[in-house]
Amino acid sequence: MSRPHPGYYPGFRTLEQRRYWDAHTREVILDRVNNVPPIRFFSEDEARLMEAVCRHILPQDDRDKENWIPILPWIDSRMHENSGDGYRYEEMPPDREAYRLGLQAIEQIAQHLHGRGFLEIGEKAQDELLATLHDGKPPAAHDIWARMPIERFWRLLVQDCVSAYYSHPTAWDEIGFGGPAYPRAYMRLERGDPEPWEVEERRYEWSAPEDSVSDRYTPIGGQSEHHGGPQGGTH
Amino acid sequence: MQTIETPMRRFNPDEEVDYAIVGVGAGGGVLLQRLARAGFHVVGFDAGPFWDTERDWVSDEKGSHQLYWNDERITTGKHPLALGENNSGKGVGGGTVHWASFTPRFHPSDFRVYSQDGVGADWPISYWDLKPYYELIERELPVAGPAYYPWGDPHGYPYGPHPMGGVGDALIRGCTKLGIGVCAGGPVGILSASRADRPHCIYRGFCIQGCKVGAKASTLVTHVPDALAKGAEIRDRSMVSRVNLGNNRRVNGVSYFDRDGREHFQKAKAVVVAGYAIETPRLLLNSGLANSSGTVGRYLMVQAGNVVLGRFDQPVRMYKAPPAHALTEEFYETDPKRGFARGFAIQTVGPLPIAFAKQMMAAKGAWGWGMRRIMMDYNHWAAFGLLGEILPSADNRVEIATDQKDHWGIPVAKVTFNLYDNDQKLIAFGKRKTIDVMWAAGAEEVVQESRYAHLVGAARMGRNPETSVVDSFGRTHDVANLFVCDGSVMPTQGSANPGLTIMAIAARTADYLIEQGDAIFSSDRRDMRPPKFRRDLSPPDTWGHGMPAL
Amino acid sequence: MSLAVTVREGRFQRWLSLMAAVSSAASGLEVAYEHYKGSYSRRIMYTPVILSGALAGAGLAGFFSRKAAVTILRGTSILTLADSATGFYFHILGVKRKPGGWRLPMTNIVMGPPIFAPLLFGTAAYLGLLASFMRRDNDRDDLLLPKPAHAKHWAARIGYAHEPITWEQDLREGRFQKNLAVATAFSALFSGFEAWYSHYKNNFRYKAQWTPVVLAPVLLGAAIAGVKDRKSAQTLLPAASALAIVDGGVGFFYHARGVMRRPGGMRKPLYNVIYGPPIFAPLLFAAAGFLGVLASMLGREKKS
Repeated sequence: MSRPHPGYYPGFRTLEQRRYWDAHTREVILDRVNNVPPIRFFSEDEARLMEAVCRHILPQDDRDKENWIPILPWIDSRMHENSGDGYRYEEMPPDREAYRLGLQAIEQIAQHLHGRGFLEIGEKAQDELLATLHDGKPPAAHDIWARMPIERFWRLLVQDCVSAYYSHPTAWDEIGFGGPAYPRAYMRLERGDPEPWEVEERRYEWSAPEDSVSDRYTPIGGQSEHHGGPQGGTH
Repeated sequence: MQTIETPMRRFNPDEEVDYAIVGVGAGGGVLLQRLARAGFHVVGFDAGPFWDTERDWVSDEKGSHQLYWNDERITTGKHPLALGENNSGKGVGGGTVHWASFTPRFHPSDFRVYSQDGVGADWPISYWDLKPYYELIERELPVAGPAYYPWGDPHGYPYGPHPMGGVGDALIRGCTKLGIGVCAGGPVGILSASRADRPHCIYRGFCIQGCKVGAKASTLVTHVPDALAKGAEIRDRSMVSRVNLGNNRRVNGVSYFDRDGREHFQKAKAVVVAGYAIETPRLLLNSGLANSSGTVGRYLMVQAGNVVLGRFDQPVRMYKAPPAHALTEEFYETDPKRGFARGFAIQTVGPLPIAFAKQMMAAKGAWGWGMRRIMMDYNHWAAFGLLGEILPSADNRVEIATDQKDHWGIPVAKVTFNLYDNDQKLIAFGKRKTIDVMWAAGAEEVVQESRYAHLVGAARMGRNPETSVVDSFGRTHDVANLFVCDGSVMPTQGSANPGLTIMAIAARTADYLIEQGDAIFSSDRRDMRPPKFRRDLSPPDTWGHGMPAL
Repeated sequence: MSLAVTVREGRFQRWLSLMAAVSSAASGLEVAYEHYKGSYSRRIMYTPVILSGALAGAGLAGFFSRKAAVTILRGTSILTLADSATGFYFHILGVKRKPGGWRLPMTNIVMGPPIFAPLLFGTAAYLGLLASFMRRDNDRDDLLLPKPAHAKHWAARIGYAHEPITWEQDLREGRFQKNLAVATAFSALFSGFEAWYSHYKNNFRYKAQWTPVVLAPVLLGAAIAGVKDRKSAQTLLPAASALAIVDGGVGFFYHARGVMRRPGGMRKPLYNVIYGPPIFAPLLFAAAGFLGVLASMLGREKKS
């Protein structure tokens, strides 16, 4: 059920345009694709756990394994370099500490619910556990969440994952984003027309695995559905 | 494509310069250029690098992280602000390097908010004081927009409007359907036709990642080259830690850390702080200066910047065309029927994939398979931004965090922010109106994310030294040769993007300083007469392009 | 005198002057807003706007006065032709200056200055120039015995000096079919090319957008054939030209409708005229057809 390249834009490859990118951009993107950094910040155990968490935050089971987009290495690299985003919420610990605390909390919840570690509880249970974080209703590790607001941790985690995933050309091909465009430029600005080198959308029935719990939309923190704006729960 | 041809002047380390300007962004860049052109010895400091646009910038979302102020700051309050990429720049050009470049003027009413609505504050100057400077800066950038712009003080723009992208089309469709006036193709500081060595826009959509094309105006490409050609020096990667108070309640220079972390002192006859609304109050507070009123750091403002996202049946591909290319100011002014003071604008925004994914996380709670699903529809979404006026409050402020220092050892800023009643009513109304427009444009699903845009205030100007930090020329009430020249001097903020106004204020401050001449360096006397307006201080090539003013 | 004879004999200076005036005014309108899109970022961008006004005036003057036709119209036309050549040069330069330059030919031709537009603008000037050499319909100078053009002509024997036929004479007497067929060919080439890339920009989303792209080479071929022999000039050329005229008319309708259907429609008339489908462009294509029809009605150049 997996494809080499899932997405509604069959055959679209942004990297094929790379000779029309400026040299520096090409260098940066190719470096991102070809030189995935090693794990340096997380311990081996943390890395395994974190890898499993990332697989749920941005699952890729519909894509052939050899084309998977690396996520954990980029979070690890940011932690290793301790590079920030320019601010810290007062009630939050620094990001490095937040990740360590968050992983501990996830382990504790798994132990609390299943008597086993997160890695041993099965895909569906893992999904459901993470959903309790999303909903802001963790069944355990309350002392950790007292030191770190769960919603802020959740946002940190999801943001880091999407930053890694959607900065990769494979993800651009999946969603039909044109990628770098200098000096490449665009000429068909209106009505969503594709450039000559882009691909028309061809939709197909794309579905998440049946037992997943993340293919639905509920507000972070699990407030009532009305909070997310009109039609907040549709997809 | 910016090339600095003149070798930069280097002042002798022991030389006392006329002006030390801290921060070379929107305000500092314009001021630096004018003071240099008038023959003053002037040094600009910037904590970030002097960008080489071709070598340092990329046409990539993640790779542009370096453009923002990424050093730590603490954010708190009931509605804590996201900082970093949202509203700060670091490096020569400052925030203008990654602004979307919407350049509407403030309305005449913005300068009289207290008189008209009984809230906020009045400015010590009026719109008409700034008007000639608006016109001047609109030529210097130059600004592209319609020949007739109907809101505020109606005016036309020197460069023609831009073509529409998918998001602009949606805004035009939605607004016209609801009978709301809307402006297509500007006003934006993006070239719609080439000028000198700057090519025109190629509609690649990476405005807020730094414009490699050189089409989007930033002081780095519009003013800094002329400043250097006229003998200004810029010390990049130099973090000013302190403005030093000398004898007779006058400052005599600044302490700074150079790129290697060595500390130096630069003597100056006068100091201008232009570090924007967080670093300016931080520097003043860390230096213990200009705060006899206790207002330094207070009255910090952001604008409501809710993003309303609509999914359309037909593809939109909102990554094409500049994020900034259409807007309406139909709701800008106070309308008593709405039950709150002041108003808002609705503008196009065009988030790229990572920003869009974050918005979907916030707006729909998306993650996992749901995130993948919604992102596969990225090309079907359009986004509008609300830009709503939030009123100044003394408790929204920048303070010094007592327990945390940055890697230079300078105490960091702590930013506290809360929304108040009028703000919340305004946001609720503006959000609803923006959502209405999105529906009217033909969206089949509409969601929104609450967020904020821009940062101004925190060293506001005013006539009364007990309630403000600087006078109408940016001179601190406490110290006669210490000035502030950036967005932090604004007493209120309207619902217009602040960049153009910051530059206009800087141009006016420049006229004042140049007219006062040596008096600034030697006398404590304050001449409060407005300066004579000068149009001979513009960078070369300002004149002879574009349409004559209507 | 019937119309056909008037045309064949080149007695339509008045009307050609008027046509030059009208087409100059139309292309002046177009260049005015096209250069507005380009923000008049260089002062030279005002010149075609000013010249088109001047040429329209000169054409009108030429309609009323022969003297004006020979002096002002001719002068203005030459000036305008020079300007359109200069414009062509600057437009090529403009494409080259765009990021990527000629490495991204399609993108930069589509998004840069329209390269052939200045030459199309030259068409009006070309008409004006032709007109300045022609006879008026009430001219009587042809009643005089013409000077013999051929050395062996009998008139030469009774004292008239031989005077070879000059191109001015050909023009004056309406013998410039080949000349005009060449003009038709160029005009078809340029406006066909413009149609091709601007419809390409629009992804050929309507089938009708192919018609000028297909018709332009047909007209081009017919015009070239018309240069080669009289028969084609009188059969193929008018047929292809008529099709081009009809297509231009239909295109004008579609373009106008396209403007109305843009977001905001007629509530944003100026913006949508400027950034919608160019409403005058199909008329320029029709103008190529019109030149073809005119050519088919003319006499051919005589060899001396």
